[in-house]
Amino acid sequence: MDWDQFDLNPKTVAALKKADIKSVKEILNLSGADLQRLMKLPSADIQCLLKTVSHTLRRNSMLTALQLYQDKDNFPSQHQRLSLGCSLLDNLLKGGIPLVGITELAGESSAGKTQIGLQLCLCVQYPHKYGGLESGAVYICTEDVFPSKRLQQLIDQQHKLRADVPAEIIQKIRFGNSIFVEQAADLDTFQQCITRRLSLLLARGMVRLVVIDSMAALFRGEFGPAEAALRARYLQTFGAQLHSLSTRFRTPIVCINQVTDVVSESEAAQCSCRVVGSRVTPALGITWSNQLLMRLMVRRVSLPGHSPGTASHCAGSRRTLSVVFAPHLPPSFCYYTVQLEGVKGTK
Amino acid sequence: MQREVGTLPLAPALRARLAAAGFQTAQELLDTGPCGLSKEIGISREEALEALQVVRQECHGHAARTAGGSGSTRKCTALELLEEEQSQGFIITFCSALDNILGGGVQLTKITEICGAPGVGKTQLCMQLAVDVQIPECFGGVAGEAVFIDTEGSFMVDRVVDIAAACVQHCHLIAEAQQEEDHRKALETFSLENILSHIYYFRCRDYTELLAQVYLLPEFLSEHSKVRLVVIDGIAFPFRHDFEDLSLRTRLLNGLAQQLIIIANDHRSAVVLTNQMTTRIGQSQSTLVPALGESWGHAATVRLIFHWDNSQRLATLYKSPSQKECTVAYLITSHGFRDVQPPAVTPSTGGTELNPRKRPRTEEEKLQ
Repeated sequence: MDWDQFDLNPKTVAALKKADIKSVKEILNLSGADLQRLMKLPSADIQCLLKTVSHTLRRNSMLTALQLYQDKDNFPSQHQRLSLGCSLLDNLLKGGIPLVGITELAGESSAGKTQIGLQLCLCVQYPHKYGGLESGAVYICTEDVFPSKRLQQLIDQQHKLRADVPAEIIQKIRFGNSIFVEQAADLDTFQQCITRRLSLLLARGMVRLVVIDSMAALFRGEFGPAEAALRARYLQTFGAQLHSLSTRFRTPIVCINQVTDVVSESEAAQCSCRVVGSRVTPALGITWSNQLLMRLMVRRVSLPGHSPGTASHCAGSRRTLSVVFAPHLPPSFCYYTVQLEGVKGTK
Repeated sequence: MQREVGTLPLAPALRARLAAAGFQTAQELLDTGPCGLSKEIGISREEALEALQVVRQECHGHAARTAGGSGSTRKCTALELLEEEQSQGFIITFCSALDNILGGGVQLTKITEICGAPGVGKTQLCMQLAVDVQIPECFGGVAGEAVFIDTEGSFMVDRVVDIAAACVQHCHLIAEAQQEEDHRKALETFSLENILSHIYYFRCRDYTELLAQVYLLPEFLSEHSKVRLVVIDGIAFPFRHDFEDLSLRTRLLNGLAQQLIIIANDHRSAVVLTNQMTTRIGQSQSTLVPALGESWGHAATVRLIFHWDNSQRLATLYKSPSQKECTVAYLITSHGFRDVQPPAVTPSTGGTELNPRKRPRTEEEKLQ
């Protein structure tokens, strides 16, 4: 660390070099008394040092809420969203998935989570005008094989799903080329994937969406009840790494999660699933929930009688997409169906 | 800056030289600058720089201390403290049940910690407080500004706009009902743009940035003396990963707590922190407890725990020096933080002793 670039007293700089302090982080990690001892300087000098390095680290970091509100170009993370490809679903989410932060999509099996994940991988490739981010996506599979046939079906039918986009724009996009599929069946591979492959792809600007399908599969069967603390450590580390990537590259991260049964009333009270009558809660517990910005749940509800006009796979069932929590959305839900061309909201 | 040179904490030899050269006040020293000073009294440039730094520190610290009125040399009686505390403003939350159990609202000069599971409403309350701190005094507010330090990226300005618009609307309705001159005047400056422009937003991505930001806060608050609220949302997130050495974390958190207490006192502002919950595995069952460990529990003066009971949101006052432990229900509407039921209507005629924050309900509303 080149201490001369800071606006410091030459005596302080000499003391820093002599005490072998190499980074701003080290300075801030030490207490005032420790710094005094290490650098053999009076407390006034130490206070000055702390203020100077803090200033340099946090230069120009103040904003007012008015700037965030009015200056839409400089703060896209406040105003832009990643569209889901259907206006009804976008209305539920007031535009779509936020650009910065981890969004979770939890639900039972065959509720439609992978379908929504695939659809997002296609939506992200559209221009900004049509709710996309003009870039590719990374799809990390942790248990099943990547559904490439279904992806091809969706690509072929994009013109039908996105009737709002002119045909020539859809034809120009090479959907298959920009979706990078990664397989990560265990924790170490997943760790490698995030720290190496993902950072590389994000740094090169080739992707602006990460879909992880699914988080729970990585932890299932690996940790016994006695190893809860270790599991929590892994979850926190992954959460922090994903969060940091998301903030650095302004990339939404969508984590697909499974659900587990609710065992007792107190557990039901602890989880934030307010869907009445729901006996399931997203897996991975409160440690994972703490890492999330937004949680969505998909359910398949069987209704008595048949609802006309919905192309559901089994007669008399409806799928719902609900917002469980989000800082900018009220808890709400909407119905949707899975059709050949993709996931579409219904009234 | 009119401090006499003789009272500054400099070496006696240096002080003698300064007196001999004719310097009398600290301001004169600062005006001269290091080069001039070294030439005038015959010391090296380095020594002059050091001396000026000390002078600046002293004057700055002095100014901060006289502004806050606290410091090691202040003495006062408990009665004076009681009077001061009773005249202290509160920042209301718009949920009167919560305000009541807190003793009036979020108190200035104290640290309030809000703990809760994800999605229960901590960030919503923080956004509500950042708007409510700006309510003019004639409406029962403290007319202050807010600093919002965001570590999780959950600050959505559209939501703040909704909350602020609802607050302005509420004040307009009160002014209409009570028809007083100072209400109308206050409303001229209490607009959406005004509210947004007085929320100072800082985004900290890791704990180093957070520590640096807190070191810079006293200076910022001295420059923006109208700030009455500092929100850190959330304090747990940057500290719950990346620490093999938990003792380092405890030390850093303790240092942070001390700095925040000093900031709260010196600048007469409320400090609000949000914390996560973690599972504590007990003998036969596991419970949810606030994160960051037992020692962090001592940092906050007031601790609120938000939790669920089926689909009802509840707030429990868990720790307070003056109020008793209590649980109330609250609601989060599109307008922000609110009560579950509207507060009881006081059958007043002629406007005697009306609570300036509440407006009398009209017939249509009562029927709803």
